[in-house]
Amino acid sequence: MLFRCSIAAMAVAAAMIIAGMPASGNDMKYPAWDGQWRNPTANRGGNPWDPNKPMGRGQEAPLTPEYQAMFEAGLKNLENGGQGNSRGTRCELPGMPKVMNFSQVMEIVVRPAITYFVPLHYPTRRIYTDGRDWPKDEPPSFTGYSIGKWIDEDGDGRYDVLEVETRNFIGPRVFESSGIPLHKDNRTIVQERIFLDKENHDLLHNVITTIDHALTRPWTVHRIHLRQQNPVWPEYNCREGNNHVTIGTEQYFLSADGKLMPVRKDQPPPDISHFRQSQ
Amino acid sequence: MFQNAIKAAVLVGAAWTATAGAPAIGERMTYPDFESQWRNPTAGRGGNPWDPAKPMGLGQQAPLTPEYQAIFEASLRDQAKGGQGNNYQAACVLSGMPRIMSLAGPMEMLVQQIHTLMIFQNALPRRIYTDGRDWPKSTEPSFQGYSIGKWIDQDGDGRFDVLEAETRNFAGPRALESSGLPLHTDNQTIVKERLFLDKSNPDILHNEITTIDNAFTRPWTVDKQYVRERKARWSEYYCRESDTQVFIGKEQYLLSADGKLMPASKDQPPPDLRYFGQSQR
Repeated sequence: MLFRCSIAAMAVAAAMIIAGMPASGNDMKYPAWDGQWRNPTANRGGNPWDPNKPMGRGQEAPLTPEYQAMFEAGLKNLENGGQGNSRGTRCELPGMPKVMNFSQVMEIVVRPAITYFVPLHYPTRRIYTDGRDWPKDEPPSFTGYSIGKWIDEDGDGRYDVLEVETRNFIGPRVFESSGIPLHKDNRTIVQERIFLDKENHDLLHNVITTIDHALTRPWTVHRIHLRQQNPVWPEYNCREGNNHVTIGTEQYFLSADGKLMPVRKDQPPPDISHFRQSQ
Repeated sequence: MFQNAIKAAVLVGAAWTATAGAPAIGERMTYPDFESQWRNPTAGRGGNPWDPAKPMGLGQQAPLTPEYQAIFEASLRDQAKGGQGNNYQAACVLSGMPRIMSLAGPMEMLVQQIHTLMIFQNALPRRIYTDGRDWPKSTEPSFQGYSIGKWIDQDGDGRFDVLEAETRNFAGPRALESSGLPLHTDNQTIVKERLFLDKSNPDILHNEITTIDNAFTRPWTVDKQYVRERKARWSEYYCRESDTQVFIGKEQYLLSADGKLMPASKDQPPPDLRYFGQSQR
């Protein structure tokens, strides 16, 4: 019996050693987010910031009068064949929070110190969860700087929710391609709560609150992403196949045969007076 | 006594389950310590030669066929006159494989069971699949190609030491360095890599890259070394044309201070404006 008790004690000890392995302990705490995620409504004619409302004016964005006027001017420009406030056709970065609309598939990788959001072609977003403070000398960027905190909401010893705050931006940035603008002071604060659906672990929720001086109040939207079971990763280069050409402040199209075309009726051609007359 | 035996069995079982049932941990422990930011120690110091032991351009002594040596020299002449030669990076055409492994900017590696993810500051992410899959039959060719890898435990100590990768299925045009050292336009390149940590300094990652290409007379092997950066910092990089350059298709022009198109090289003709109304010109 003593022998059997010893076996039992050894087993207990073995179990305790295993439980005490730091790597496994940490790994076991994180939710299974790894994989490819997509926006189930992307590429179906627009990607509204609030997915429950139509794009553009239908979003009823809580804009200040000044920024509502700016938004309306952008819409008018779009109606006239321009690009409005959106700079996506110039292959400029959408930045935060627009990049979280998952216009294209995104890979998520969770590590104890950093959670990675890896888009197809935009810069990777790193959410630091190592307890660091806001850096003092980080250059501002379109994606901003993200600090997160894992929460074990139901007390079961596993993290359920990643709470994130993102600051330190440059611009110009908009919420969606209709051109709903963020303030040019770039003092946006984006707060996110990211968690798996309790019923369906292939659904990821992101409740995003944007605090910005272009808005009269914090604006919260609830976005849902879908995990892809057999992911394919296409190679996407915004420049490749981009049929928009910008010369100075003017936009033009590139025809299928590689020649410059107007984007609107009666648009004058670019000034070529710097080329030699004989050419 | 019987109860004690059952308890012991349950505990042993629990211990077994705790290890066997946690595949991610057990399997992650067998991988080498690749997860870090890595830098090319010589990048950004005036060129990024494909073979880091030799100077760029003709100094590489690339084993090119006569046809591709002529293409390379024509590119060098074009660059000497202010053109781009075979180097399309200024137009934001992707560098692709194997050139991205010169690490123009830092790279981070994340080792996962299905694939090893390489996140580049200056290029699109690259995935090396290590789940035993075969070459796909219907994947679009790409500048980065499709990479299949295999982990090797070379010294038999129960931990993987080497990641061997093979990459195929390319699109082009691709060059090996900014001098325009060309790969073949048939895009039948095969790139083989061996990635492993330096035995005496685990902060150095070796990448032995062999490129097999119909532009070469023989496989060309170079040994690149990356240095681990423990205090990683990242810049937000996104390729955009310079404010002073305009590309109409692949034709490059300059933009004057007053926002007008200018020729980028002597005697360059202006762009074809036939799609604009006659009265507007």
